[in-house]
Amino acid sequence: MKKWLWLFVLIVCWTGAGLAIFDFQQEQNRNDTPLLTQADRIVSMAPNLTEILFALGLEERIVGVTLDSDYPSAATKKTKMGTFWQPNIEAVIAAKPDLVITLGFDQQRNLAERLKRIGFNSLTVNIEKVSDLFEAIEIIGSAISKQSEAYLLVGDIMEKLNKLSALVGTNDRVKVLWVVQRKPLRVAGRDTFINEMIELAGGENAIGPTVHKYPPIGAEQVIACNPDVIIEPAMNQENLTKQQASALQYWSKFKNVPALINKQVYVIPADTVTRLGPRLYEGTMTIARCLRPELFAN
Amino acid sequence: MKELLTPRKLVVRTASAGIVLIAAMFVCLLIGTESISLKAVFHGGGELSAVNPDYEIFVKVRLPRIILAAIVGAALACSGVVFQALLRNPLADPYILGISSGAGLGAIIAVLSGFNWTLWGRSPIAIFAFAGALGTVWLVWFIGRLTGKFHVTGLLLAGVVVNAFFSAVIMFLTSVAKSQQVHATIFWLMGNMTEEDFFVLWIGGGCVLAGILALFNISPQLNVISFGEDDAKSIGVNTARIQIIAFGIAAFITAIAVSLSGLIGFVGLVVPHAVRLVFGPDHRQLFPLSGIVGAIFLVVADTLARIIVAPAQLPVGVVTAIVGGPFFLVLLVRHSKKVGWLK
Amino acid sequence: MSGIIEVENLSFSYAPLSTVLKNISFEVMSGTFLAVAGPNGAGKSTLLNLLCGMLVPKSGTIRIDAVAIESYKTDDLAKKVAVVRQESVPVFGFSVIEMVLMARTPHFGQLGFESKADREIANEALEATDTAQFALRPLGSLSSGERQRVFIARALAQNTAILLLDEPTSFLDLKHQVGIYDLLKATQLEKGKTIVAVTHDINLAAQYADEVLLLGADSSYNIGKIEDILFPEQIEKVFGIRTFAGSVGQEKFFLPLGKLAKDSRQINSKPNSSQQK
Repeated sequence: MKKWLWLFVLIVCWTGAGLAIFDFQQEQNRNDTPLLTQADRIVSMAPNLTEILFALGLEERIVGVTLDSDYPSAATKKTKMGTFWQPNIEAVIAAKPDLVITLGFDQQRNLAERLKRIGFNSLTVNIEKVSDLFEAIEIIGSAISKQSEAYLLVGDIMEKLNKLSALVGTNDRVKVLWVVQRKPLRVAGRDTFINEMIELAGGENAIGPTVHKYPPIGAEQVIACNPDVIIEPAMNQENLTKQQASALQYWSKFKNVPALINKQVYVIPADTVTRLGPRLYEGTMTIARCLRPELFAN
Repeated sequence: MKELLTPRKLVVRTASAGIVLIAAMFVCLLIGTESISLKAVFHGGGELSAVNPDYEIFVKVRLPRIILAAIVGAALACSGVVFQALLRNPLADPYILGISSGAGLGAIIAVLSGFNWTLWGRSPIAIFAFAGALGTVWLVWFIGRLTGKFHVTGLLLAGVVVNAFFSAVIMFLTSVAKSQQVHATIFWLMGNMTEEDFFVLWIGGGCVLAGILALFNISPQLNVISFGEDDAKSIGVNTARIQIIAFGIAAFITAIAVSLSGLIGFVGLVVPHAVRLVFGPDHRQLFPLSGIVGAIFLVVADTLARIIVAPAQLPVGVVTAIVGGPFFLVLLVRHSKKVGWLK
Repeated sequence: MSGIIEVENLSFSYAPLSTVLKNISFEVMSGTFLAVAGPNGAGKSTLLNLLCGMLVPKSGTIRIDAVAIESYKTDDLAKKVAVVRQESVPVFGFSVIEMVLMARTPHFGQLGFESKADREIANEALEATDTAQFALRPLGSLSSGERQRVFIARALAQNTAILLLDEPTSFLDLKHQVGIYDLLKATQLEKGKTIVAVTHDINLAAQYADEVLLLGADSSYNIGKIEDILFPEQIEKVFGIRTFAGSVGQEKFFLPLGKLAKDSRQINSKPNSSQQK
């Protein structure tokens, strides 16, 4: 019995000593630090966030971006902060940022928390839907006193999208199968921003509502959903025509599907459609061109 | 030809190893993707407007991470020693009895349940993984006992069955989960070292240290048990009691390690082997030395993981496998030449 | 004066229907060399395991040094009874001296290290078994016979009053067989240990043991002095073979001969006469 008593006393002393020495550091930094109105050194942890910052005219104030922030080309000259999936916290700290902007999913939220604990300002925005994008632009805008620029940017994108919607109309929607991965076959479902872009461009998802955002489907469903158009975002940026030709060949095994009968298989540049950012209009326009080529023939 | 172990030899070896550990930790503190100068570090932290990045990186990013690597490395190595001794099998590692799949299951349940609260700054994944690991060990022990007393084969089989079943459940849950949640779980499970609060490190480190000391305390009995169980009883070792204690402590410190850093393989398998090949199978030596060597190994592996493909990071488990494998192979070949293969 | 080992009405079975030992009672006096012999399956190893506490009797009692065996704690029992089983190579590469020192584990100090006294006892045991020159070598590098001697050394290092051995010479060559029996006898005579050895070799048993316990496959048993228990008719009854018996000097020897053995005719066909030449 005495042994256990000693053990208990030891545990209490050890814990107490720990509490005394380290006095709940994390509590101090848990309050949200007030957002600065003047952030001169901004770090962006995602390519779409980088695009937003550039679009708001903040090029000089950006001191760090991730490796995959490749648009506009000026972004590639900025100091690298790791990648989208693996942020490099040391590089971020070394850049001495006033504000670090991250997306909302786990690794990035985790990074934001760690930075907050160390004492840096961080801002987390969720950009999963088109409405999120507009909201995020405005949040970022008000965080760095660029409200008017943000407002203008959002307005500009919305206006262009509205015009496009009016042009393509809401009738006669074209059925689109959006292939994200070939083996195993994964497509974009209805609960994605890609789906929103498809609808803005006058199409509808060939796949019905699913549990997953990017459901794996079988060959049967490809035939059953009867798509008019098959779109694949390009793997890399080289030789899109060649990729298009090989895609046509790959999908030709579904020869009775309308998309193949009419040879409507497209490989499009990935950046503007896989990244939900300020080039939303450009991406949607690309999709619209695939859906109604005759409409945009000029 | 091995000389007999004496207290003095043990103290000397442990102290030397300890010095190497401190040196390694210090060197690794200075290595990273950003180069920092020690002088700048000593200027201390600045205020928010004029922060001293060298200090911040050194004290708030690297130091906790390296301490964490040392704690986890020591825990996994000592746990590996225990399982190899109890199962009388040099191929045992801390995860052999279901701890890995139990922790994984806990982690994915935490992610799917969408809990967001934190306990003392520990995320729900860590807590559920800890509970999952311990719960699974208990389950395996329970099933193993159903096969009659403490039969090693029974335990191993129970571990295989539980591992297989839980892995299937994990795969099922993974397939119905949303992709982001899955990614988060897998990322966590692959093993990663992030900065923890110093308080968390203090408690975790204290638990691991206490565990290792307790294991050292029963190491003469573990020597006998690793020799043979029937022999052990005739010599006067209370095998049932010692096995439960050793098993429990090993499971506990492994669960702590897993909850702190995800699943990092190879450390618990290679380090005990390597130490045994060089210093002999006496557990009085194996525990302190494996703990320290495990700490050094993981500190170095983690540092390499951060700089090899900078600015990206490798999962630390990849580095432990790549570094550990060939190193162990060399050790094995050189040693077996010395000893000659036994029947 | 009661024996250091007392067995009363001991019964044991592994499976519910097959009884291995039935109502055995005997007593072993301190300082005696008892050989345990019998055909396969008679229960010799079972008896040994019961005597060292590894198995629990179905009925009956075993008393070691006048105390019931169940009431011993593991380490206390180990201070009274040591067991030598078939040699084996352990998974991990312990050296000879490390192995022999393991016998002293219950006596280790707080830090888990052996004392000088422990080391002396271990060295003595190594000397007695003529294995001191192997002290630092790993067990796996020794021959079978050398290893078996080390196993005995470990049992000796336990410094117990009782030594139980389960076929200690089964796979050894003649020289080592004799060497081990000499060693056991010396230990009995010089240190006063009680030796209980299970053996297949009734001739060596006759030459070295004081008493013999013959276990039959039908759960019968006989115990007593060598000359009372070992004679051709008894051997034929228990083992089912006929032997040619002869006299060496103090004791007899028994040569088992089958039908096709060269000298099978030397065995008298009449069951009750003994051969004397």
